[in-house]
Amino acid sequence: MKKTPLKHVGERFNWYKSAFAGGNIFVKLSPILMGAANIRYGQLVKGIGYLCMEIMFILFVVTNGASNLINLITLGSKQQEMVLNEKTGIFEVIQGDNSMLMLFGGVVTAVVIVFFIIVWLSSIKSGINTYYLHKNNKPVPGFLDDVKSLFDINIQRFLLFLPMVGLIIFTVLPLIYMITMAFTNYDVNHQPPGNLFNWVGLKNFKLLLMSKDALAKTFWPVLGWTIIWAVFATFTNYIGGMLLAILINKKEIKFKKVWRTIFVLTISIPSFIGLLVVRTMLNKSGIINNELINFGFITEPLPFLTSAIWARATVIIVNMWLGIPFTMLITTGILINIPADLYESAKIDGASPFKAFIKITFPYIFFITTPYLISNFISNVNNFNPIFFLTAGGPQSMEYFKGAGKTDLLVTWLYKLTSESKNYSYASAIGIVIFIISAILSLIVYRKSGAYNNEEGFQ
Amino acid sequence: MKNMSGIKTKYLHFVPLFGILPIVLLFLKFIHVEESSEQMTGFQIIVDVIQAIQKNGISLSYLFIIAIMVVLPLIIMLATIVAFFKPGKKILHTTILLYVLKLFGLILSLLTIKHFVDGMGYLQVEFLIKYLSFGFWTTFLVDVVGLIITMKSVKISSGYIVLTVMSVIWLFPIVWIILNSFRAEGGFYIGYFIPKKFTLNNYVKVWTDTSTFQFAKWYRNTLFVAISSCILTSFIVLSTAFTLSRIRFSGRRALMNLMLVLGMFPGFMSMIAVYYVIKGLGLTQSLAALVIVYSAGASLGYYVSKGFFDTIPRSLDEAAFIDGATKWQVFTRITIPLSKSIIIFTVLTSFMGPWADYIFSSIILGDNVDNYTVAIGLFNMLTRDNIEKWYTCFAAGAILIALPISALFLSLQRYYVEGLSGSVKG
Repeated sequence: MKKTPLKHVGERFNWYKSAFAGGNIFVKLSPILMGAANIRYGQLVKGIGYLCMEIMFILFVVTNGASNLINLITLGSKQQEMVLNEKTGIFEVIQGDNSMLMLFGGVVTAVVIVFFIIVWLSSIKSGINTYYLHKNNKPVPGFLDDVKSLFDINIQRFLLFLPMVGLIIFTVLPLIYMITMAFTNYDVNHQPPGNLFNWVGLKNFKLLLMSKDALAKTFWPVLGWTIIWAVFATFTNYIGGMLLAILINKKEIKFKKVWRTIFVLTISIPSFIGLLVVRTMLNKSGIINNELINFGFITEPLPFLTSAIWARATVIIVNMWLGIPFTMLITTGILINIPADLYESAKIDGASPFKAFIKITFPYIFFITTPYLISNFISNVNNFNPIFFLTAGGPQSMEYFKGAGKTDLLVTWLYKLTSESKNYSYASAIGIVIFIISAILSLIVYRKSGAYNNEEGFQ
Repeated sequence: MKNMSGIKTKYLHFVPLFGILPIVLLFLKFIHVEESSEQMTGFQIIVDVIQAIQKNGISLSYLFIIAIMVVLPLIIMLATIVAFFKPGKKILHTTILLYVLKLFGLILSLLTIKHFVDGMGYLQVEFLIKYLSFGFWTTFLVDVVGLIITMKSVKISSGYIVLTVMSVIWLFPIVWIILNSFRAEGGFYIGYFIPKKFTLNNYVKVWTDTSTFQFAKWYRNTLFVAISSCILTSFIVLSTAFTLSRIRFSGRRALMNLMLVLGMFPGFMSMIAVYYVIKGLGLTQSLAALVIVYSAGASLGYYVSKGFFDTIPRSLDEAAFIDGATKWQVFTRITIPLSKSIIIFTVLTSFMGPWADYIFSSIILGDNVDNYTVAIGLFNMLTRDNIEKWYTCFAAGAILIALPISALFLSLQRYYVEGLSGSVKG
């Protein structure tokens, strides 16, 4: 029977509620004195562990946590000042509040609190379970049993511990921090420690999406180019790679492995090396322009990376150089698996090879690779390397927000806003916009893809 | 005409047509300069060259022109006519070879004709390829079609032509960088393809000259980071994938959805915050920080491995449970041994990652030059101040990185493809 997750949680919650109501004094004490029931009914190590956590948490709240939370709301009020020291006659810096550290501390505190609430709930749950085991005269698992269960019934706790710790500290926490930044005015004019920044609500999004500011004048063209880029980068590579795979897989072609290896070479080289090499080759005085002039094809160097239109075409074409072999590798595996009898019956019906391709090969590959195609589209929206290493977003444009260029994608612009101009609030707002775009696309894909809906299909 | 085995008569009819056509085309204009309204037919060029030979004596470039404009077209014509009347595989194969030779010559002529024409003093203006006219390009086209037709007549796929052209384009940057790594004359802005002098000094210099770039040290750093993060990442990815694929526990779906959502944020949006976390942990600008950053978020990429684990039959696990195995034993004794290809895929991709990452390493390592990785080093060799002096060393450094990685990749390619096709199934 299929239950909605929410209903499932609701049912379990109700069970624990009534179990809690039916518990004795130790169970009822557990929410206040964590681990009370555990200690009473023989789970000494576990109970003391819970108790220690509670004490540590209280200490944390008293020493730092509470003030951190208040700071999170105010983001500091005392600005750094220069005050004349009467005795020495020199201006001295009086340290003010550092909004950035306050925001960070606040976010960390919030995460710690959420984490503690989870521990707190689990301690109550554990207390109830232990009490009922004891009441029903069943053996209460000791500490060693708990450890053993980590390798068997509760293996997910053991196996997921390290991944989750890494994820929370290095992905979730930083992300929350950056998301909150999108709602502040932490830009180049509000840099701690010299200045304070503050909460501004949705102002950044308004500025970015629907103002007459340079930001909006940059955002929409950059978004437009990001989408054009993603469409071209995805489909040129997809179609090119598929045709190449089909070509190499043709019966008449010999030395398949040699051909494949030639193209795979570009994947095996770290992509930034390939891109840097190509950049130097396409330079105004690089080998390509140089030779073209030498041989008399042109008289002036071509602006491969310096004119907006040329640069846009160049990044798409160079990206084909990187991406086509990749798609080729993927489609090769699929091609081999197309049932041969499909082709045979097509041949008997008198279909030409071209028709066989249109009616059999293409639909087959397309059907299998649709999820790949769309996830590839999303990764192209975020495709940092080709742009960054080839043009670094350039050529720069006067109409754009300072620093942004004509080949900048949203991600490369985001990178520039953080690493070059320190406009963190705008960068975070752009990051959220990128997230929304990817989320909408992924939602369509994953909801429809077989992997999501019938996960158990293979097993 | 008899229908011979291995020969398609349908195409054979056209073979001589395309053999004869280039000779006729010689009477079209080959060179046309609009500015000075000078014109020259192919025939005129041949006559001029023969006169020049009589006057100046024979030279390599004259011979080359005579070969591709007179000798090869005549031989091809003869060959195609012979092939038409006495069709056989041998003569057709020879024709194909001749065509390839001629096309190669024509392409080569594109690269040499400027020097030739300017040297002859034909034109009042300096020669440009755009002055090549209708006749030349038609000849080129006719030869390509002739080659395809002849190939079709002996059932050789014309795909070879496409593959060859593409291979040249794909290999061009690679060959260029290899040549540069052996180039003895320094500098970046050189106007020729093949180095005048070859040397191994660039390799020695990039490895031992520590005045500006400590490449050897950075190489060891990167190796260390790559190996450590590859071990950590593999453990994290495989255990996440195994748990989410094989174990059913409450909150599993929620966790998967959460990870899906987390994966949709652009990775380096949170880079700055990661930097502060690193700082808070007291690991600023250290290699350990780099290892942690590469592997901490690795669990988000569990899909590929999970897709693979999903295909391992459940009955295997159940049989083991009946025999009293714990879930840990199922993981280590059954799932892992059956997952060779996906393990190699994970190890390979996570090992290759640090070699290619510039953004994270440059932000985390900041100005701690001692801890730099090769990516930062190579990137810095190409800055405006360094490129002139260090370009050939950059090339050597690039080869030093690319060589072991490519070798590793190519030898493990099979597993990579298996892993990837797992990801395609979605």
